[in-house]
Amino acid sequence: MKITRKLMYLFLFAFSTSALAEEMSSFGQTINNLSKAVDGFFNDYTGWFVGLIFKSVPIGDANFPIIVGWLLLAALIFTVYFGFIQFRRIGMAINIIKGKYTDPNSKEEGEVSHFQALTTALSGTVGLGNIAGVGAALAIGGPGATFWMIICGFLGMASKFCECTLGVKYRTVLPSGAISGGPMYYLSQGLSEKGLGGLGKALAIGFALMCILGALGGGNMFQANQAHAMLTYAFDVPSEYGVITGIVLASLVFSVIVGGMPSIASVTERVVPWMAGLYVGMSLIVIFVNLDQVGPAFAAIFDGAFTGAGVAGGFIGALIQGLKRATFSNEAGVGSAAIAHSAVKTKEPITEGLVSLLEPFIDTVVICTMTALVITIAGLNVTPFNGEGLTGVTLTAASFTETAGIFKYLLALAVVMFAFSTMISWSYYGLKAWTYLFGEGKTTELIFKIIFCIFVVIGATIQFGAVIDFSDAAIFAMSIFNIIGLYFLMPIVKKELKSFLARVESGEIKTYDNKDAK
Amino acid sequence: MDKKDFFTIDLKRPLLRDGPNFLSHTVIVIGDIAYLRPTISSMMFCMIYVVVGSFLLSLATYLLIVSTKYDLVIFLGGFGIAITTFGISLIRPFLQRASFNKQLDIFNNHKDRDVKLHHITSLHINNKIIQRKHALSYPCFELNLLTAHGRRINVLNHNDQQQLQQDAQLLATFLGIELHDCRKEVML
Repeated sequence: MKITRKLMYLFLFAFSTSALAEEMSSFGQTINNLSKAVDGFFNDYTGWFVGLIFKSVPIGDANFPIIVGWLLLAALIFTVYFGFIQFRRIGMAINIIKGKYTDPNSKEEGEVSHFQALTTALSGTVGLGNIAGVGAALAIGGPGATFWMIICGFLGMASKFCECTLGVKYRTVLPSGAISGGPMYYLSQGLSEKGLGGLGKALAIGFALMCILGALGGGNMFQANQAHAMLTYAFDVPSEYGVITGIVLASLVFSVIVGGMPSIASVTERVVPWMAGLYVGMSLIVIFVNLDQVGPAFAAIFDGAFTGAGVAGGFIGALIQGLKRATFSNEAGVGSAAIAHSAVKTKEPITEGLVSLLEPFIDTVVICTMTALVITIAGLNVTPFNGEGLTGVTLTAASFTETAGIFKYLLALAVVMFAFSTMISWSYYGLKAWTYLFGEGKTTELIFKIIFCIFVVIGATIQFGAVIDFSDAAIFAMSIFNIIGLYFLMPIVKKELKSFLARVESGEIKTYDNKDAK
Repeated sequence: MDKKDFFTIDLKRPLLRDGPNFLSHTVIVIGDIAYLRPTISSMMFCMIYVVVGSFLLSLATYLLIVSTKYDLVIFLGGFGIAITTFGISLIRPFLQRASFNKQLDIFNNHKDRDVKLHHITSLHINNKIIQRKHALSYPCFELNLLTAHGRRINVLNHNDQQQLQQDAQLLATFLGIELHDCRKEVML
């Protein structure tokens, strides 16, 4: 203890000397050079990957990325194939959450209540995609991008239904008792059942590879980068000090994912829903304070959607940005949600599919729209929409601050918490993909966890452009392999749905009124 | 209470909802005392919070001296205090060693009321699956004791099954009581 105290005094003394101030200045220069070097490295070495994933075809004045069309087409096909399930069965999804299909007297120990399930789903949907993602979409795509985000949110509900049902159906319980599920499993097992084992294995490997990159990109670097950007905006922290933010975040992430500390994970799980509530509350305050501007804001959104005024590539440009950011936020068709949903306690895969389809609705249709309204009302996002002014989390934060200065501090708190919790979630997605490829084992897992923590520091250090391009490319690449598999497996989901509906209709699956609970 | 009333104790039910994804303690027997020793790795992970929290506090102190960015000072200081306090709260249970003392005939875990060793009737191993909202689930195991008065108290709680079984056997031999394997199939 004495040694620790002496070291502490020495540390504080060193900080208070002017000599150290000079050292800090040269430290700042070093960090700046390091940031530029890392940024340059990323641009040079990941540029080809970004270019490959976002290969575009010219449509009008804009270059339309094929991958965006791929996701949009898939969502449309699933919507039609499942008979517009997101509209026709939304009532059933709400009833499942309300517990209509669960015997209230047979609740197993440890099982979460339906209210808890709902709050979990809600808190899981609000994150940096809603805050920074919408800021980025509107900075490049103008207010019209919001309309396309909403459309993408509605269509994405069907994709999420399909993948999450399959996630539960093909999940695997490992000998250790841990549950593993997600596209790697349904692609290999599901396609194998159809006699396409080779293709399934290839798709599963491709997905796992992209999932690792997605975990390092969108689930890690983007989060760390935007957390530091928020600190820079709210507290004027020099951007080159991102390495410090990165090291602090990486240390905490390390303690959770390497140490498996249950307490910090529990604290995060308890705090994040409050942060989500705080964010929604702040948005509602801005909207109600500026109620008279909501009409014109919606008008700007609808006009911009079809005219694309001030957007490079016109309305196609707005559409591209809306679809890209909506997919990044709700992850529909990407396959990551299927990993998380596969661990749920249920005997009916279809019920989890139905519950999961509410997420793109809440995430994109409701919360992203609220963020877009806040940005549009504030009027800081002006033409030309080329992303050179305020963008990402700084645009959103500046728009909130227009109504009340304190919002930037609350937003900083929320952003740091969201970034941390998202990094924890994605570390597990990435780890599952990693162990799928390289096998389970302490050393193998530790290698991934250390790489993941290093990328937290890199993400907080480098520039936004390089981060978001790589993050987008990695997340979208996951959808290539996932959606091919979903096309082959969607008849299985349809069969499950038919069976479930028939059993509900025949009374085999009973419905319960909450009053039945003893 | 009516003398005819009776109750049953479900020995298969785990006592704690949460649990670590690592080996937190091992049982050490020295003479007439058996105690739970925290593992070095678990202590190190707790220390991360103290180090990070102290760093943020020091940074806040430095900024308070050299600049007028009071908002940043409050933000860093707040986070620093929260993380340090959290780290200390994690370390405290590790430092308070739970022990079974044959000389004093007492089991003391610094949490529950002390138990006379001769009141301990048996030890039980339980299992559970820890389900995380934002992560994947993992198995965890408990070693619990049962007293003659029907109290159940947790002794060990971690996810190293093999080590827990060894420690449970060691403790059962030390106390001269029965050890029951009450693990059950967990329905998902």
